[in-house]
Amino acid sequence: MGHSDGDHDDLSADDSPWSEDIWSDDNEGSLSFEDSGEGSDAESDETDAPAAEESDSSEDEVAPRNTVGDVPLVWYKDEEHIGYDISGRKIKKRDREGRIEAYLRNADDAKNWRKIYDEYNDEEVQITKEEAKIISRMLKGKTPHTNVDPYPDYVDWFEYDDKGHPLSSAPEPKRRFVPSKWEQKKVVKLVRAIRKGWIKFDKPKEEPNFYLLWGDETDTADNKRQGLSYIPAPKPNLPGHEESYNPSVEYIPTQEEIDSYQLMYEEDRPKFIPRRFDCLRSVPAYEKALREGFDRCLDLYLCPRTRKKRINIDPESLKPKLPSKKDLRPYPRTCYLEFKGHNGPVKSLSVEASGQWIASGSSDGTIRVWEVETGRCIKVWKVGGVVHRVAWNPQPDRHILAAIVDHDLLLLNAEIGDEEVQMRTKKLLHIEELAPEEEETGDKKPAVKWVNHDKFDGIVLIHHKAVSTVEWHFKGDYFTTVVPSGDSRAVLLHQLSKKHSHHPFRKLPGLPIAAVFHPSQKMFFVATKKFVQVYDLQKAQIVKKLESGVREISSISIHPGGDNVIVGSKMVNCVGLILIYPHVHTRH
Amino acid sequence: MPKHYRPAGKKKEGNAAKYITRTKAVKYLQISLATFRKLCILKGVFPRDPKKKVEGNHKTYYHMKDIAFLFHDPLIEKFREIKVHRKKVKKAVAKKNKDLADRLLNRPPTYKLDRLILERYPSFVDALRDLDDCLTMVHLFAALPAVEGERVQVQRIHNCRRLSHEWQAYISRTHSLRKTFISVKGIYYQAEVQGQKITWLTPHALQQVLTDDVDFNVMLTFLEFYETLLGFMNFKLYHSINVNYPPVLDPRLEALASELYALCRYMSSGIVPGNSESAKLVEDKDESELRLAQLQHQLPSNEPGALMHLVQESTAADVEDDDAKECSSLFKNLKFYLSREVPRESLLFIIPAFGGTVSWEGEGAPFDETDEDITHQIVDRPTQSHVFLSREYVQPQWIYDCVNARIILPAEGYVVGRVPPPHLSPFVDNSAEGYIPEYAETIKKLQAAARNQVLPLPSIGDEDMEKTLVEAIIDRSASNEVAEKKRKLEMLEQQYHDELKMEYEGKTYSHMKSDNQSDVVDNDSEAANNHVDDSYKQAEKDAADISKTVMSRKQRGLLEAIEIHHSRKKDKVNLLKKRKKNAESSASAKGR
Repeated sequence: MGHSDGDHDDLSADDSPWSEDIWSDDNEGSLSFEDSGEGSDAESDETDAPAAEESDSSEDEVAPRNTVGDVPLVWYKDEEHIGYDISGRKIKKRDREGRIEAYLRNADDAKNWRKIYDEYNDEEVQITKEEAKIISRMLKGKTPHTNVDPYPDYVDWFEYDDKGHPLSSAPEPKRRFVPSKWEQKKVVKLVRAIRKGWIKFDKPKEEPNFYLLWGDETDTADNKRQGLSYIPAPKPNLPGHEESYNPSVEYIPTQEEIDSYQLMYEEDRPKFIPRRFDCLRSVPAYEKALREGFDRCLDLYLCPRTRKKRINIDPESLKPKLPSKKDLRPYPRTCYLEFKGHNGPVKSLSVEASGQWIASGSSDGTIRVWEVETGRCIKVWKVGGVVHRVAWNPQPDRHILAAIVDHDLLLLNAEIGDEEVQMRTKKLLHIEELAPEEEETGDKKPAVKWVNHDKFDGIVLIHHKAVSTVEWHFKGDYFTTVVPSGDSRAVLLHQLSKKHSHHPFRKLPGLPIAAVFHPSQKMFFVATKKFVQVYDLQKAQIVKKLESGVREISSISIHPGGDNVIVGSKMVNCVGLILIYPHVHTRH
Repeated sequence: MPKHYRPAGKKKEGNAAKYITRTKAVKYLQISLATFRKLCILKGVFPRDPKKKVEGNHKTYYHMKDIAFLFHDPLIEKFREIKVHRKKVKKAVAKKNKDLADRLLNRPPTYKLDRLILERYPSFVDALRDLDDCLTMVHLFAALPAVEGERVQVQRIHNCRRLSHEWQAYISRTHSLRKTFISVKGIYYQAEVQGQKITWLTPHALQQVLTDDVDFNVMLTFLEFYETLLGFMNFKLYHSINVNYPPVLDPRLEALASELYALCRYMSSGIVPGNSESAKLVEDKDESELRLAQLQHQLPSNEPGALMHLVQESTAADVEDDDAKECSSLFKNLKFYLSREVPRESLLFIIPAFGGTVSWEGEGAPFDETDEDITHQIVDRPTQSHVFLSREYVQPQWIYDCVNARIILPAEGYVVGRVPPPHLSPFVDNSAEGYIPEYAETIKKLQAAARNQVLPLPSIGDEDMEKTLVEAIIDRSASNEVAEKKRKLEMLEQQYHDELKMEYEGKTYSHMKSDNQSDVVDNDSEAANNHVDDSYKQAEKDAADISKTVMSRKQRGLLEAIEIHHSRKKDKVNLLKKRKKNAESSASAKGR
């Protein structure tokens, strides 16, 4: 800094009058400080510090020339003043210098680098040398003043007792000279561990990863899997045509179909919708690949596996083989005889015990007796009511026909056979007296009333309610009728010789359907809707109760041999035939 | 102790004693659920369905024997050891005992799965039978991005890639590939090894995204087992064709990501009988092995012709059936060149498997595009700018269709820029399905044509001639149908002419009626016939109904289920037919 002296001179000489106003506020100290600062740094330590403090405070005290306050200067850009002084006069701006002028002036001025234009106050400030030094120090990150020491020596202000003796005078302890016992123990431990191979430092040797795991396949005993039987997981489904990247047109659903999938249940919805790509390069990555792999993994380890036999069954083989009609031969195939005469549908048919005669009842209100061989109608009764049932007396020498006409039972003399037989039959079918019986029953209406039929030379059994079936005992003296709606008097037993009837069963398990006599023994069968009850007639008690297992029994019959009972039922579509063995078991 | 005596606290007999729920099994084994899961996956233990679910319907049951099987496995102890080891390391790190931590990390407890594999698959065929899932999984992981910081370790993905390539190289080398199918999900392959059909799926060679909806722990456990299994399988298979197993590959080819080709080359050179040079080198250690791998490149066997020669030689030595012979000679004498945009890995696998020679665009390729002998170039771009007249330019689908049909299909339909014919699945039995797609029938005809013709397989020169012959034979079979149609048309025309003539002659309608009375009678009789038919049908139906009612309820249910199944199938076929009809009609409308 050769021109330092000149600097100061220029400062005083070059300053304009308004700048002098400010600098005149500076006290002498600051100027003297500059002088002394130049002379010697070391000497001025004491005096500088207060001076610096003063200058700092004085700088704050200097009021700015500008009085506009804290407003943007742009507002005053076009004005020629910057605020007003205390007496109300305008504080004028300096005249604008031309650029060339300024340049020339600056070129001449050696101290130009120290000048800074203060826009706010509209003046040029010249930085003193000291200030420049401070700035350069601050830029370097040092303290602004040279005479401030940031790291002064520590001054111990307090006194301690041991101050005069820095080292202990105690003798050195033994442990300083002897190796540590515990360290040694630790080392011994480590050494032993290393020796015994508990601690290994080298990496374990790499064995060959793969070798021939499956040797010869000859010994089969070793090749058996141990433990439970292994159930292999079912293989994933193989892809069909529709999964192709380029399926044929018919595999691609139309837009409407795809939309309709939305209406389906989620389970029914197709998981995969086929798409068509024109070329292989346009096929994108399948985004569900990982997910599907994962699902397969889950299936493999979470799904319970069972062995299930999937047989490829032909549905035809499931259907039971119905016997072909050929196998069922011989059966009547051609019509041999026709019995013509009835006008309405024939409701019932009965063959006489000798097999020579047939009786038929029809809904046209007639009962006819025919000869089987010739088809000739022997006899016609016009009973004048729907004939529900006809039944021959099983005794060959009693040609009696029982018929249900409308509500009641009619016993008719068929008037066939030789005269003696006819006589006996006629006798049998005659009621002598009935008045006293009627009085006996009195108030309650009897279940059955035996009345002579005047027109046909027979007997009418007038029942209290509609009769449904009639069955003869094999000896031909007894017969039974069933009145389904008869409650406690539903099943009736009648004796022909005594013209007497009674109702032995007070209670039955359900609605009676039919009743039959055993063909050879003293047994009696009553069929209700679900059961068949077997009674012993002599002991007058129930012997057995047969459960048919069908929904509704409609008819019952007993094999002439007496071993088997056959029951017919009303099933939905067909009539099932059920065999019941009274002794042991039931077969369907 | 008598059998009926049951001490207090013991299980009853039967299902209650035989089966155990999962929660109880976990408790019994004294392990965590995660470990149990892992153990089950590795040991191949699966839940079983007891006849009677004693503890409730919604629980998973394991057989007690299975659980006992797990209980006695040394793997349980190993898993515990690993857990303890992990704790030790954690403790050492927490105590800032770096030495100990390092030492522990240096020797973590490991386990091997070879024993488990032998236990689960005592014979090799057993393992082959269950290989489908294994291959699909390994190929799936091989296609995942090998990026550090993802949920799957990079090293494992590389391992999967290596294993899958090794497997493919074996299949390709032994010509045991049978069927291929490009689906939307990826490419399906079916190979036949030792009489077992093995099907697997490889994803398309595109970037897969790791999704969040899968549990990678489970998948990686499966993968762990599958990797080991496939390694041993590969060893056995390589052993069976006299090739050293961990194959040493040419690092140059490996760097070019054409490991499969490198492997193929390794295998074909490994069996050179009189290769003294390589024999000498084999005795040396790893370094020389690498050198050997590099040398393979310079060996004469690297030329495609020589390679093919070797392949031929080896296959001749094998005992093989017609199928394999047919497969190995499908692309015989054909030379393929792959463009940049076709799936190279898949085609590099398939073409050699069917006896073809192949090269590709890129470094390390055995021959250039300019090679004169190339017969087919596989291209998958809209247009081909520079065309060699000596070769066919076909789309990649051609290869797959040829492989499935086992004949060389005419390339017209697959020419660059055209939409190829539909790609059909070879896994579908069309006749069982009840619907035969149109293109399947075309292929069938072509196959029949090829079979009738007792010509040697097409060589490069007379390809065109062969094609015309095939066409001629197809024409012959088609011409019959055409003739039939023509005859019918003629008849119709004749009838029309007759009627016209009658009109000309001025015959009235009544005349015609009298003329045609016989026809009417005929019609009547026909109607009567129809009636008879109807009643016959009715009778038949009745008989069916009767037999249905006689059936037991269980059987009837079964029958109904079968019928429903049949009707569904029928509906499906009908739908397909309807769509086909619609498509055809719309196409014809457009054509007009």
